[in-house]
Amino acid sequence: MSSNTLNLVITGVGGQGQITLARVIAEAALLRGVNAIVAETHGLSQRGGTVIVHVRLGEVEAPLIPPGTADAILAMELIEAARYAYYLRKGSIAVVNDYLVPPPLPKIEVPSRDELLGIVRSYSDRVVLVPATHEALRIGDSRVANMILLGAAIKSNIFKDFIDFSSAEEAIKRVLGRAAKPNIEALHRGADLAK
Amino acid sequence: MLGNVAIARGFLEAGLQFAAAYPGTPSTEIVEALSTASRVLGGKPYVEWSTNEKVAVEAALGAAIAGVRAVATMKHVGLNVAADPFFSSAYLGVSGALVIVTADDPWMWSSQNEQDNRWYGLHAYVPVIEPTGAQDAKEAARLALSYSEKYKRPFILRTTTRIAHTRVPVDTGEIPLEKLEPQGEFIKDPSKWTLVPQYARRKRLELLDFWDKVSEELADFPLNSVEGSGDIAVVGVGIGYRYAKEAISMLGAQDKITLFKVSTSVPLPRALAEKISSYDTILVIEEGDPVVEMQLKTVLQELGSRARVYGKHGKPLLPRYGELGLEKVVSALSTVLGIEPPTWAKEPPKPSGQKLPPRPPVLCPGCPYRGFFYALRRAVNKLRLKPVYSGDIGCYSLGVNPPFYVQDTIIEMGGSIGAGNGFSHVLRGDRDIVIAIIGDSTFFHSGVPPLINAVYNKAPLLVIVLDNHTTAMTGHQPHPGTGVLAIGEQVEPMSIESVARGVGVEKVLVADPFDVKDSETKLVEALRYVKENKKPAVLVAKGACILVALRTAAKNGIRPVPYRVNLEKCTGCGICYTAFNCPAIYRRPDGKAEIDPALCTGCGVCAEICPFKAFEPVEEPNPEWFKIMRTARPVY
Repeated sequence: MSSNTLNLVITGVGGQGQITLARVIAEAALLRGVNAIVAETHGLSQRGGTVIVHVRLGEVEAPLIPPGTADAILAMELIEAARYAYYLRKGSIAVVNDYLVPPPLPKIEVPSRDELLGIVRSYSDRVVLVPATHEALRIGDSRVANMILLGAAIKSNIFKDFIDFSSAEEAIKRVLGRAAKPNIEALHRGADLAK
Repeated sequence: MLGNVAIARGFLEAGLQFAAAYPGTPSTEIVEALSTASRVLGGKPYVEWSTNEKVAVEAALGAAIAGVRAVATMKHVGLNVAADPFFSSAYLGVSGALVIVTADDPWMWSSQNEQDNRWYGLHAYVPVIEPTGAQDAKEAARLALSYSEKYKRPFILRTTTRIAHTRVPVDTGEIPLEKLEPQGEFIKDPSKWTLVPQYARRKRLELLDFWDKVSEELADFPLNSVEGSGDIAVVGVGIGYRYAKEAISMLGAQDKITLFKVSTSVPLPRALAEKISSYDTILVIEEGDPVVEMQLKTVLQELGSRARVYGKHGKPLLPRYGELGLEKVVSALSTVLGIEPPTWAKEPPKPSGQKLPPRPPVLCPGCPYRGFFYALRRAVNKLRLKPVYSGDIGCYSLGVNPPFYVQDTIIEMGGSIGAGNGFSHVLRGDRDIVIAIIGDSTFFHSGVPPLINAVYNKAPLLVIVLDNHTTAMTGHQPHPGTGVLAIGEQVEPMSIESVARGVGVEKVLVADPFDVKDSETKLVEALRYVKENKKPAVLVAKGACILVALRTAAKNGIRPVPYRVNLEKCTGCGICYTAFNCPAIYRRPDGKAEIDPALCTGCGVCAEICPFKAFEPVEEPNPEWFKIMRTARPVY
């Protein structure tokens, strides 16, 4: 796809804040005058199910990203990172929360963390691992893990000129209102972790 | 702005006065946004969550007959429920305006089927407006309402998931605040408002006249347009237009293509169809069934055209199932252009060959239904029963999954009790009892008439109403059991037990799903009653949706205390992560259990079910939390 666009796949387990993450990214892009389309998953997948959100920035019309054309994946969970890694193109970046949620099904076989990362690496040239949930729990609220991941992603330069820390901060204020403060702190914590 | 919110905004800008809906993905946020607006604007427009889609359409039609601008919104299958008043509305017409929103769900992200509701438009003679994206969904909503007012006929606004649930920037216009107040007035005229045969026959002829007229006039619909002047016609219908536009630009084919943007798919305007038919090669891109393609082909045939039409028929270039995608549209367009599609479109990369565990949606950690299903399995085993679990639509549909397997059939809303009636009269052999499982909102939606039927016809079945005091799956909308209206006003809640007793159920029990022992005892009692008396019984299990409870607790400054595993007591028996199956509980490599503190909601049911008392709270829990967990209701 053209250099005037950025295709981002956001994945994870329902309830981890993927839709909020996508909204913050889109809002941050709009603040800098960049067009944004976010296609969300709702309904049955909202809790505990697999979630994929398509975020397209720049000169775009269609809502969904074709497999093999995503510039980056932001994954809140390792199995989901591996599941949707085939959306990535050559030269893409994967920013992955180092956190594994085994599906709560009896007698299920879960691949190891290393196997899952191996799958992601087979589609992506650059994998940035971030202990986002671990860090969020340390701070005291697992819900800010998504902003930690975002901070790490911005630091890893996946957003080109489309968003930066100041537009992300402003977007967090607009989207999260009263809950903005701990989330902005989490954003910067994520940036530190990606160093 | 979310597509659905844009639609709500468009309605408000058109001076909407009345909105009714039953929530359903992907339509819910339209009336959610309208109820927020109404709360801010002091109760204007009137907004309600109706008990079902049929009631919503009836209510909106009534308002529209009284001269009010009204909408009823629903998901695609909701229109099946509402089909009866919907067809009549086409004959009656309105004196205000009536728009019915149907949100179709291609590839069934959250639905029992995939259905293209534009057929309803053709079938009932109701025009269908299709926005091409969230961008002009707002405009389409505004226009649909004003066209309905102009023609005094109902209109359908049809969206698909990627319009409803796509977020894009939307320019907004003024909301005429003074026009939002409904000022209904009914003028008695039986020849106009009653469909007895003598009047209905005349109305049928009027309807056909209207159809011809509107087919002419919709060609100039403001959201229809033509772009470019190439030799090949591409017809982009609804969201198909967005895919077509980007595909054309990706392939650099702008000068080869004339792109028709079609937002009036039913009836396909005659003049527009004729314009398209002057091309030799035509590609129709639409999501769902080939509704525009078929109408177009009819016109081409009448005109004796020999144009080649590509789409979903004949040698199809686009599939008749699932959603559109750029790769599908780029590939189809490449074929029509006679060029090689780019690799990513021709051979999109496949998911990794390595086996990844599926992740079906599950009951949330702390969901009252988990403890109850656990108790249900125990009660059934204790009595050595082999039930047919007649299931329904809602969070409890997830009971279809292991380890519970307590949904043997899932048909439609209310189908659990309805089909349960049938099962209970005909089952032979080892299936010895019928258990219908339905939610509170679904009970009010369409569970009452089949319950009446069960009582009257003495159907021996146990009806379990899982009452979490909200419409949980769609995002916590109120219903008659919750005691709150769409815009937040408190009212007297309706009791499910009283309804059941009122229609003549003699055995009505209430259980606490967070108390596994209590649930099991009540279930045993109810099952025995049904077996012995050959009559229906109703058991209501009352516990709050844990998401609502957590929100309520946070508001009151109460922190639920997570549990942990005492590894000295844990024997690794696995009941907690296999039979009880809480998503917050894991199996450690040594077989013992572990709790993920990020997922644990502190419901404490694991402590009840563990035979070795290995679960304990990490600190003394606040007893208030256990009260909230059982009683919390959504606050608006």
